[in-house]
Amino acid sequence: MRFAFTDDQLLLRDTVREFLANECQPEQVRYTWVADSGHLPEVWSGLADMGVLGLTVPEAHGGLGMDELDLVLLLEETGRVALPSPVVETTAVAAPLLAAVAPAEHRERWLTGIATGECIVGVGFVGTPFVLAAHLADLVILERDDRVFAVAGDKLTLERQRSVDGSRWLFDVDWRQADEIPLVEGPEGWHEVNLAFDRGALGTAAQLLGLADRMLEMTVEYAKQREQFGVPIGSFQAVKHQIADALLALSFARPAVYNAAYAMRHGLDTHSRDVSMAKCLASEAALTVGRTALQCHGAIGYTTEYDLHLWMKRAWALAASWGDAAWHRDRVSLAVLGPRP
Amino acid sequence: MREVDSETMKIVVCVKQVPDSWAEKTLGADNTLDRGSVDAVMNELDEYAVEEALRLQEAHGGEVIVLSMGPSQTTDTIRKALSMGADSGVHVIDDGLHGSDAVATSLALAKAIEGRGADLVIFGSESTDARMSVVPAMVAERLGLPQLTFSSSVSVEGSTVRTNRVTEYGYDVVEASLPALVSVVEKINEPRYPSFKGIMAAKKKKVETVDLAGLGVSADQVGLAGSWSAVEEAAARPPKAKGTIVTDDGAGGTAIADFLSAQKFI
Repeated sequence: MRFAFTDDQLLLRDTVREFLANECQPEQVRYTWVADSGHLPEVWSGLADMGVLGLTVPEAHGGLGMDELDLVLLLEETGRVALPSPVVETTAVAAPLLAAVAPAEHRERWLTGIATGECIVGVGFVGTPFVLAAHLADLVILERDDRVFAVAGDKLTLERQRSVDGSRWLFDVDWRQADEIPLVEGPEGWHEVNLAFDRGALGTAAQLLGLADRMLEMTVEYAKQREQFGVPIGSFQAVKHQIADALLALSFARPAVYNAAYAMRHGLDTHSRDVSMAKCLASEAALTVGRTALQCHGAIGYTTEYDLHLWMKRAWALAASWGDAAWHRDRVSLAVLGPRP
Repeated sequence: MREVDSETMKIVVCVKQVPDSWAEKTLGADNTLDRGSVDAVMNELDEYAVEEALRLQEAHGGEVIVLSMGPSQTTDTIRKALSMGADSGVHVIDDGLHGSDAVATSLALAKAIEGRGADLVIFGSESTDARMSVVPAMVAERLGLPQLTFSSSVSVEGSTVRTNRVTEYGYDVVEASLPALVSVVEKINEPRYPSFKGIMAAKKKKVETVDLAGLGVSADQVGLAGSWSAVEEAAARPPKAKGTIVTDDGAGGTAIADFLSAQKFI
């Protein structure tokens, strides 16, 4: 099979890349560590105006009705600039899930809201105990036992939790059972929940690629510029081989992520296995790149004032979210080899 | 004087494709810019011109035509303006235009605008590669239009266009009857990013190509040969000289004062 993105998909990526490069600068990401939001509202509304947030919302609800394959490159770009806002949760996970299972009386309002940027959605599935940006969410989708339901943001009781990445505002959420709006109950419709989880893992893998790519770029720039013993440190084998290994890890992860997007888009039987391979490789690649970047930067990499810090901690957080590498490797093993004896 | 009917107000925006501002630029063998060696983008100030045209269209209705002159890759810049929302494009393209100076360029542009029934022609106030700021004035002169240059705001009312013209001390409020030509500065607005819907729609919009014969311009009026000015030679900017380092042995303050006084700062 020959797989390549279409000219349109690449053009949309370039458009988003240009927008984010101008509007989502490192100092803004840094600001979300301390500001009372963990969110960049102007960037969010800019992404809505462009059509990014509504990309997966059906056209009938003001979206573009596009799919995982169209979204994967754009999420990679949100990773490249370390966008802290919950775009994976809202656009990759919630929009397609709500389009499939939302009760008719809420569907229009929720989906239109996602496309216009007015409805931010938090997601708390089993295995992700804390909800990202729940304090901003108009809606939180939760999974408990054998049911998935939505709760309006203003009906939640929130308790902020510490995150390794200060720009990710995580919350423990509580609610009254009376405020639950059922989405899926029991085995029927659970297929949609599994797809939603896979979309979350895939979207996060795409963001990890972008984060890793940017960290590698910072490191190469630094290694060319920083001199020791009269020459740039990048000319030393001990430095350049490490950077090459990091690039290798990233280059192996990227096709796996695109392949998973293809499998999701075309509903291949192997889609869950493919997503797991993607998330596993992307998580490991981002951690490898982060560690290499830190080492090649020397002491400056440890300072919170240096941008690398923001990117690396995001990579740590995302590598552990939506299933870490070990969890996904187990799922690949189960799919390929069957249950362990 | 022409009463502008909002249904038919026609705005022509002129845009130029330039090398990316931050890129290292080189000259070719004929001392013209080597456009192949660098990324090409829409001249930044022209984005403000397109944005202003679209805002006027949103307020008054009518049509926005984007006009650009340049080699084949210029279509990317025209497409960008179309994806921002302009209705159609005109691409002036001819090998004979290569090396045209400002005077020759203004002739080709004026000929391309002439006969389109434009009520308003909008330019960015300069291009980031040539930085002459003269083409808008030259085109206005050739078309016999009033020119309202360096505008930091533009409004149209009836058959009158009013702008704030930026000056050294602030701005002048100037007005003219339509049709007229306006050039804008970057203070005027915040250009929009193309939306995905705009990008998709732009593919279906019409871009007309016009060559020299179509413009009714003869080859000896434009291009390197037809230009009034020519670049004879060019030299790379000399590298920055090293500054003077004064090690403070107690007289550092005096050294600084001497330096400042030699430069007539104190």
